[in-house]
Amino acid sequence: MRPFLLNASSFCLRLTERWPSIATIAPFALLIAAWWTVTELRMFPEAFLPGPMKVLSTFGSLTYTGILPEYLEDSMVRLAVGAFWGIALGIPLGLLVGLSPRAHKALWPLLLFFQAIGDIAWLPILVIWFGYGLTTMTIIIVYTVIFPVVLNTVLGVRSIPIAMHRAALSLGASRPRLLWEVVLPGALPNIITGLRNGLGYGWRALIATEIIVGTSGIGFLMFDARRAGSVVEILLGMIILGILWYIVDGWILAPIERATGQRWGLVTR
Amino acid sequence: MKSLTIRNLSKTYFDLHAGANVKAVHDVSLEVPEGEFVSIVGPSGCGKTTILNMIAGFLPVTGGEILVGGRPVKGPGPDRGVVFQSFALFPWRTVLDNVAFGPKMRGVGREEREKIAHEYLALAKLSEAAGRFPNELSGGMQQRVGVVRALANEPDVLLMDEPFASVDAQTRMTLQEELTRIWEAKRPTVIFITHDVAEAVFLANRVVALSKGRVVEEIPVDLPRPRVWDDLNEDDRFKALTGRVLQLVRSA
Repeated sequence: MRPFLLNASSFCLRLTERWPSIATIAPFALLIAAWWTVTELRMFPEAFLPGPMKVLSTFGSLTYTGILPEYLEDSMVRLAVGAFWGIALGIPLGLLVGLSPRAHKALWPLLLFFQAIGDIAWLPILVIWFGYGLTTMTIIIVYTVIFPVVLNTVLGVRSIPIAMHRAALSLGASRPRLLWEVVLPGALPNIITGLRNGLGYGWRALIATEIIVGTSGIGFLMFDARRAGSVVEILLGMIILGILWYIVDGWILAPIERATGQRWGLVTR
Repeated sequence: MKSLTIRNLSKTYFDLHAGANVKAVHDVSLEVPEGEFVSIVGPSGCGKTTILNMIAGFLPVTGGEILVGGRPVKGPGPDRGVVFQSFALFPWRTVLDNVAFGPKMRGVGREEREKIAHEYLALAKLSEAAGRFPNELSGGMQQRVGVVRALANEPDVLLMDEPFASVDAQTRMTLQEELTRIWEAKRPTVIFITHDVAEAVFLANRVVALSKGRVVEEIPVDLPRPRVWDDLNEDDRFKALTGRVLQLVRSA
């Protein structure tokens, strides 16, 4: 028995060493197996909790009819537009507040105040001002993305040791050059953390917004399914949300983090 | 390299806790001719780092003046290279790019500035480390990079603020010997701040003893060069000099 266990565990170790993705997939495989077992045993009515195969076939049919790809595209484009503006406005604002004590004094209380209001709390007034549509959704996402980006950028700028500024200046860097050579790279690990948080919150805010004001998108798909009482589509929407975030975080944000802050020793793994 | 003149330099802070003005530097005057190595030694709080920060232009002067090559200091500039106790290397740049930073700011092209950087890295036996990031190096190696980064920009005066205080004792001795070797090769004008009396004497042509913000005495060091610890540890003149400086620093 003992040698068998030992062999089995060393086999697992070698397997995950060779294909690291197995370690990622294994917990999900277990979860799906449990889900499948529960539904096969018919512990709940099928309309209440459909099984994985049912969800998969719905995925197939919704993809075939083109509804899912279209909704997915709508959601991703909204997130991308919101993220773009959130970053484009958030990083310069963060640099300003981080570098200028006067700007910090004037803007920091405002930032904290508006951060506390929260994205969804803006929906009622935005719907009155801009109606049900892209403008409202974009504002919500930009609003959600911008705060973590600004606050983390400020933190990053302020965490750069003063000796680093002094070193650059006494090596002949001009003040404007300092921004590019010291402030931006020095704050970059924090900026990326801010982006990661911001996009994560933005993604959630998007779904919530689509549920309330959307006419398309993954959030809308789920809410529309609820109206029809179709749990399959709700489950499908939830799974897609998880997978998409996993891809954005694991394939885009985490590699950037590894190539910058971790490589430079500014962020510990 | 050019000379450095300090005339009646003083610095007064407003201390918020004490609610009063505190004078950190009193009427310090110092003449450093081109190519001289001067150590400023004193206990913590004696104002030595404040003096260096004023020469570097990091802190405004409240009295007197500082001239480098006859021109008054106004803020930080590439005519005064600085080596920091905390190294202050740019973690996002490779060792080569750190050393090439000064020439880059001067507008030197990539090929030329990398040639300069390689040359200086070789001087400190760092050629192997050129492509690595600072966090991959030991503290001693990081500070070697710090020294050659400042030198590669060919400053008129090299300012060193307790540069070896945060490396281990053995590495420190090696770094001190290397610094004397580099100084002999390049003959820069150096202001070296330290609280370590033996270090001050080992490196310098002249030691300035500082206490409570005032210059107590200047002691010329005429020990032969090249200097190595194996020779000087048992050298009577070295012992006499360190003993004398220690006495000055402690009694004042």
